[in-house]
Amino acid sequence: MQLGRRDVVVGAGVAPLLWSRGGRAAKRPKIAAVCTAYFKYSHAQHIVGRFLDGYGWNGGYHHPEVDLVSLYVEQVGADDVSRERLARFPAVRSCQTINEALNLGSGKLAVDGVLLIGEHGKYPRNDRDQTMYPRYEHFMETVKVFKQSRRVVPVFLDKHLSWSWDKAKQMYDVSRSMRIPFQAGSSLPATSRIPSVEMLPGAKLREALCVGYGGVDSYDFHALETNQCMVERRKGGEPGVNWVEAYRGDKFWKAWEDGVWPSQLVYACLARSHTVTPARPGMGHMMPSPADVRRLCKDPYAYRYQHADGLVSSVLMLTGLVQDFNFAARIEGRKEPFSVQMYLPMPPARASLASSFSPLANNIEKMFLTGKPTDPIERTLLTTGLLAAGVESLHQGDKRITTPHLAIKYAAPRESTFWRT
Amino acid sequence: MPEKRIALLTSAWTSGSRVLGLADRFLVGYPWAGTWHRPDVRIVAAYARDKPDKELAAERAKEFGFTLFPSVAEALHIGGAKLAVDGVLLLTLDADGAREELVKACVAVFDQAGRGVPVFVGGPLGQTFEQAAFVVKAARRLKFPLLCGSPLPLAVRLPAVDVPLAAAVEEALVVSPGGWDGQGYHALEAALCMVERRRGGETGIKSVQSLGGDGVWRAGEDARWSKLLLRAALSRSDSPQGTTIADGRTQDLVSNGEVAKLAANARACLVEHTDGTRTSVMLLEGAIKDFTFAARVKGGVIATQFFVAPPPNSTETVGLCRKVEDLFVSGKAAYPVERTLLATGIIEAARKSWVSGFARVETPHLAIRYQPPRDSQFCRE
Repeated sequence: MQLGRRDVVVGAGVAPLLWSRGGRAAKRPKIAAVCTAYFKYSHAQHIVGRFLDGYGWNGGYHHPEVDLVSLYVEQVGADDVSRERLARFPAVRSCQTINEALNLGSGKLAVDGVLLIGEHGKYPRNDRDQTMYPRYEHFMETVKVFKQSRRVVPVFLDKHLSWSWDKAKQMYDVSRSMRIPFQAGSSLPATSRIPSVEMLPGAKLREALCVGYGGVDSYDFHALETNQCMVERRKGGEPGVNWVEAYRGDKFWKAWEDGVWPSQLVYACLARSHTVTPARPGMGHMMPSPADVRRLCKDPYAYRYQHADGLVSSVLMLTGLVQDFNFAARIEGRKEPFSVQMYLPMPPARASLASSFSPLANNIEKMFLTGKPTDPIERTLLTTGLLAAGVESLHQGDKRITTPHLAIKYAAPRESTFWRT
Repeated sequence: MPEKRIALLTSAWTSGSRVLGLADRFLVGYPWAGTWHRPDVRIVAAYARDKPDKELAAERAKEFGFTLFPSVAEALHIGGAKLAVDGVLLLTLDADGAREELVKACVAVFDQAGRGVPVFVGGPLGQTFEQAAFVVKAARRLKFPLLCGSPLPLAVRLPAVDVPLAAAVEEALVVSPGGWDGQGYHALEAALCMVERRRGGETGIKSVQSLGGDGVWRAGEDARWSKLLLRAALSRSDSPQGTTIADGRTQDLVSNGEVAKLAANARACLVEHTDGTRTSVMLLEGAIKDFTFAARVKGGVIATQFFVAPPPNSTETVGLCRKVEDLFVSGKAAYPVERTLLATGIIEAARKSWVSGFARVETPHLAIRYQPPRDSQFCRE
């Protein structure tokens, strides 16, 4: 059933009804959380937990102005901590199905916002070594309840929309046709930056590059989101991507030596990193030589892609050399590259809290309260497509993949949405 | 301008020491504003007092082409007959007692020469106010620029905020993950670099009182330090301990009362400034593992984390390294030595208060006024 515009009330009239003249919430939105797995240091723990236990924010301790009312966890393993949360927060309904989490047993949509955290858990892998997390299925199950109830509410979906481009595109199309306030993606665009800088709106970019770490169809998504949240602010906004090409093994090192991507930007990223592996024992912090890089990197790979306006972006996954995400770009009229680190205090090695999830949770809360996503879903639609194309390129022996389907045009948010307060 | 020639004076150049990581930055460079910066100064001579296992001085000297000398004087003379270096980098570990000895030897060379050259002393200026004052007086007498202190005031802040210059600061609080023997000094100096920016600048310290055990928390109940500021400071921590370690949950350590349980050996130090401003130093080992700060500034609360990056990169020393390089190149100290002088005196008074059963210690000798640098000094590049 396709709903017409008049049939759909966004978030039960979230913006007009929630706020009284005094500026205080007259009615706290009810939120459902749908998770694949919920264990210590899982994304569900980081995100859903902030809606239960609050988090340090803006010089105080913030308890979201929404109520988490239901929790569905698809796989409850031996390491699960969601049962502890349910015991400690008895007002949260433990649900056996997604339908129940959204309807609260009432037969129709009974919540004002939905968190879909489809990261972690045991799910099958495909022939491209992608874990087939059921994000599409969970989203479509949510949509089914919306349709039955003739009402939609804001949805946040963690990480990329799906491992499959076709599924992701369907999710996006449904969200547009039903006017679902829909936000997704990584915490990297939201986290603190070191230094605390933003890409100037309207900057003319020539080349952009991200140096990150981690595996295929996993942390590479964070690198793509890091890059995209910066380049989308350039002159003309984001016009979409023409092609994607992967580099791995000998092809990676040949490209490195041939200067396929600007080494100046790689070294600018390395100069922003706080986790450069010392090139030799006894040294704390030094810039690695090209020979050091080659020795330290374990199975590096890259995705290089051309945007429709000619900008070329590269993300380099240099596991073994760094353990953070850094961005650099050449800007017309500037001699030195622009560069920044997206701060990711990953527990347990660097911190006990993954604080990058605090600004993400705050942005999600804003969407729940206003019905307006803080960041464009098109960013994550594009990074989802880039990742799928990158993985496909790797699968096809690093063949260049043309991407007419990624002609995704969108404008960056006017206001910066990363953590500065 | 010719490259400045520097002598390094140290106790033992050992691998993994954050202090001596600073010396390495002068050899291999450091990241600055998105490039790898090669300093415009060069270590040409060094003296290392101790010869422990895994000592690196000889290895570094060989690799980077400087000479190790058997005495401070010879290092400062670069083997010749008179003062020959353009600057002195004095880096010792906190507890090895070498700092005072090396400072004295350095000042003796300057006295003999009748002049000094810019000196950077890493860490506090001594164990006692008297030792610290000796260096400061020597710098005034011989007119050499002196810079000293902790990397923390210059470190990245999360978020990147400072006390607005000349703001009305009512009260400040800093949280340290360890006691006076290590991290407490860094926390104190970081707090001082914030509160000195208040209206009128720093007016000096009137009294210091240590608190321990239950006394720490009772004083909080009595509003002798601000629970609101402790909550604000801890809101900036990325490392709450206890149940966060156990199952990942976020925690408001003040409201849930866990801070007192986790920091079983908590100490605090109440610092009263001459103008009535209060700075509380909370030494909360066991509760958190990072350095955070909050201040009540007219119109609201400012809170931030002084960011210490994980080893081995330890990038929190980068901001300080830049200021030390600037000292050697320009001959100007970027921030006042009085800050470290006060920190040294406060810690000495805090220890005195501790051993005298938490008595309030009057500190008339710390009535030291100074003005902060106009521009924020912390790393934002």
